[in-house]
Amino acid sequence: MKRTTSVVAVLLALALVGAACGRDKKAADAPGFDGKTIKLGVLEGVSGPIADPIGKPLSAGGDAYWARVNAAGGVAGKYKVELVKEDTAYNNEQTKAKYTKIKNDVVMFSQILGTPPTKTVLVDLKTDGIAASPASLDAAWVREPNLFPVGSTYQLQFINAASWLVNDEGFKTKPICQMAIESEYGNAGIEGLTTAAKELGFTVAATARFKGTADEEYTAQVAALQKAKCAAVFLTALPSNTGRIIGAAAQKGLTPRWIGQSPTWVSALAASPTLAPLLQKTFYWTSEGTTWGDTSVKGMKELIADVAKYAPTQKPDVYFVFGYSQAKGVHAVLEQAAKNNDFSRAGILKAISEVSVDYEGLLGKYTYGSAANRSPSRETVIFKVNPAVPGALEKVKAVTSDVASKLKIG
Amino acid sequence: MSQHGSHRLVVDYGNDLRLFPSWLSRTAIAVLGVLWILLPMQIGDFQLSVLNRAGIFAIGALGLNLLTGYAGQVSLGHAFFMAVGAYSWAHFGGEQNLPLLVWLPAAGLIGGLVGALIGPFALRLRGNYLAIVSLGLVFIGIHIWNNFESVTGGFDGVGGSRAARIGPLDFTALTIGGTKYSIEQAYFWLIWVIVALAALATKNVVRSRPGRALQAIRDRDVAAAVIGVSLTRYKVSAFAVSSAMAAMCGALFGSYYGYISPDQWNLLLSIQFIAIIIVGGVGTVFGAIVGALFIAGAPLMIEQYSSSIPLVSYLTKQADMTVATLNQLLFGLVIILFLILEPRGLAGLWFRLKTYFKAWPFSY
Repeated sequence: MKRTTSVVAVLLALALVGAACGRDKKAADAPGFDGKTIKLGVLEGVSGPIADPIGKPLSAGGDAYWARVNAAGGVAGKYKVELVKEDTAYNNEQTKAKYTKIKNDVVMFSQILGTPPTKTVLVDLKTDGIAASPASLDAAWVREPNLFPVGSTYQLQFINAASWLVNDEGFKTKPICQMAIESEYGNAGIEGLTTAAKELGFTVAATARFKGTADEEYTAQVAALQKAKCAAVFLTALPSNTGRIIGAAAQKGLTPRWIGQSPTWVSALAASPTLAPLLQKTFYWTSEGTTWGDTSVKGMKELIADVAKYAPTQKPDVYFVFGYSQAKGVHAVLEQAAKNNDFSRAGILKAISEVSVDYEGLLGKYTYGSAANRSPSRETVIFKVNPAVPGALEKVKAVTSDVASKLKIG
Repeated sequence: MSQHGSHRLVVDYGNDLRLFPSWLSRTAIAVLGVLWILLPMQIGDFQLSVLNRAGIFAIGALGLNLLTGYAGQVSLGHAFFMAVGAYSWAHFGGEQNLPLLVWLPAAGLIGGLVGALIGPFALRLRGNYLAIVSLGLVFIGIHIWNNFESVTGGFDGVGGSRAARIGPLDFTALTIGGTKYSIEQAYFWLIWVIVALAALATKNVVRSRPGRALQAIRDRDVAAAVIGVSLTRYKVSAFAVSSAMAAMCGALFGSYYGYISPDQWNLLLSIQFIAIIIVGGVGTVFGAIVGALFIAGAPLMIEQYSSSIPLVSYLTKQADMTVATLNQLLFGLVIILFLILEPRGLAGLWFRLKTYFKAWPFSY
C-alpha cells in the first residue's frame, strides 16, 4: 500500500511538471494564415474506389483554378494560396485521421470528397469551428453552417428531370422506374424521384437497388425492371457501375430511357465502341452549367484558357469542371474574408454567410447567406451523349420545374 | 510461465501467478503510467489520433486474443460484435446522450449477451469451420445494419452526440484547472485507461482458473474434457467475454468518430483484428496491444513520413503507386512474414531479446 501511494505521488508530481511545459504554444488567431499565405486543406480521394473517374480530375480542376488565382497575385491580389492535400481513399477512418492531421494548419477545407467522408468529419468541424466545402450534392449540407455547399442537390436533379419527362416528353402514362446504389447517395436519388412522383401524380413502377461492387451481376435488378415494363429508369450510380448496368440491361433486351444522376457519368464511357451507340440512344445526364468547350459561357471560356495554361494534358471531364467551380466558390469566400480582414475560423464562417458567388455559367445560381436562408440552384440541365463532341455531351434543355422551385429543403 | 522463454526461476505457484513478477515489469508499468499522463502534452494531435485509434483497436484485439490466442477458437466475426457495440453507443450515447458510464457498460452487456446467444451454435464447430461460420455473421450483420433503420440509420449511417462524459468530465471539451485540452488529448487519456483496464481484466482471466481451462481446451479439447473442464461452458464464456470486449471497442470507436455507417463493419475489419494478434503475438496480453499499435499506427506513420522513407518514396515515384496502395501491400507482406519467420509475433521478438540478455554472456 505504501509503495502504491508513493508511486501515485511521483506520478502526480510528474503530471504537474508535464502540465507546466505544455506542447502547444498558444494557438494562432488564424490557423493556416501567416499574413502572406493562405493554406487550404484538401481531403481528396486520389486512391480508393472512385479515384480514377472522380477523385483525380476533381483535384486537378481545383489545382488549375488556384494556379490561376496565384498567377494573378493571389486572394485580394496579395495572399498566395497553398493547398495542403491529403488522400482519404474515400474511407471514413482515413478521412478522420487526415482531418486531424492538418486541421490546425489550414484556414478551411476547400474540398472533402464524398458524402460519407463529409459526414464523418462534420461533428469535428462543428466542435473545432472550421469550415469546409464538400464535393457532394447531398441536400443535407444546405443547412449546415460549417459547410459551404457548391452545386445543386441530387434530389433536385431528379425532380427536374422527372418533370421534363412527364411534361415535355410524354411519359405521363408510361412506367417510370428507378435503380439506385445501396448507399446514402442512392437514398438521395430515391428521395428525389419519390418527391417528384408525389407532386406530379405518377407512381414509381419499380425500384431496384444494387450493391455497386466490382463483381456484381445485375440479373435480378434487370429482371425486376423488365417485369415492370419500364419506359424510363432513373439511375443513381457511380461511373464504374453505369456502363455495366446499361450494358447488362441491353443484353436482356431492356433499353429504356436512362436518366443518370450527375456522378453516373464519366467521359470515358463514350469511348467504348460497344457502349457509345447505346448510350447515345438511351442515356440522359442531369447536371448543371454547360458543355466542355462552350466558350459562349464566360466561366467555360476562362476554364478552357486555364486548362491550356496550367493543365495542358487534361481531357474534357465533368469532375474537372466541378473541382474548378468549387475552387471558384471557395475563392469568393476567401475574397470576402479578405475584405473583412479576418481569416480566423470564425471569420471564414462569417464570410460564408455573407458571400455571393457568380459561377459564371459553370454552375447554376446558388443563393448563399446564413445556413437557414441558403437556397441551391433550382435549375437542372439535361444533357445527352454525343461521342463526336469534346466531353461527349451536348445540352438538351435547362429545366427549372415548378416542383423544384417550390421545394423546401431541410 | 516458461512458455514464452522467460527463464526466471519460479519456485512456487503463487510466484508464477503474480501480476507483475519482476522489478522490471513493475518499472515498466510505472513508466507507462507516467507516459500516459505526459504524452498528450508532448506530441501533436495527429500522433495522438494515431495512438487513439490504436488504443480502440487494442481493446477489441485483447478480446479476440482471449478467444483465439487462449481458447484456440479462430473467429472472423469480430467486426459484427464491434458493430453491435457501436450501435449501442449510437442509441444510448449518440441519440439519448447518456453518459459514458451508461453506454460503455451497456455496449459490453449487449455484446456479451449476443455473443452468449450465438456462442453455443458457433462453438459446436472448431478450427476452420468456426472461422467460416463466424464469417457468415459479418455478412448477416451488414444486412441487418442496412435495414434496422430505427437504430442504425440504414445506409445513411448514424451519428449524434459523442457523449463522452464521466461525471463532471466532458472529454469532448476537457478543461482541468483552467487549461483546455483538445479532443485528441482527452480521448487519449480516456481510451488508454480503458485499454489498461481491459488488459488487466484479460490478464486476470488468463492467469486464473478459467484461463488455464481455456488453454487446456486450446491445446487438446478432448484431454481437457477428460480432466473435467466443461467445454461448452468455457467456450461460450470465452466467446461472450470476447464479444463484450469487441462491443466496447466498437462503442468507443463510434464515440470517437462520432458517425458510423453499415459498410464499415466489413470482413476487412475482422481480418485487421486477426492481423493485430498475429503480428503482436497470439496468446499474450502484451502482444494484442503492441500489435494494435503496429497495425493501426504503421500505415498512418508510413504515409506521414513517406517522403523520407527511402524505399517508400522510391516506389511511390517509380511505380506510380499511391502510399495507400503501398500500405495495403505492406499489410499483407507483414502478416506473411510474421507467420513464416516469427509466429509468436512482436511479443515473441521481445521475449527472445529479453532471454538473450538474461542469459548473457552465455546466450547461444
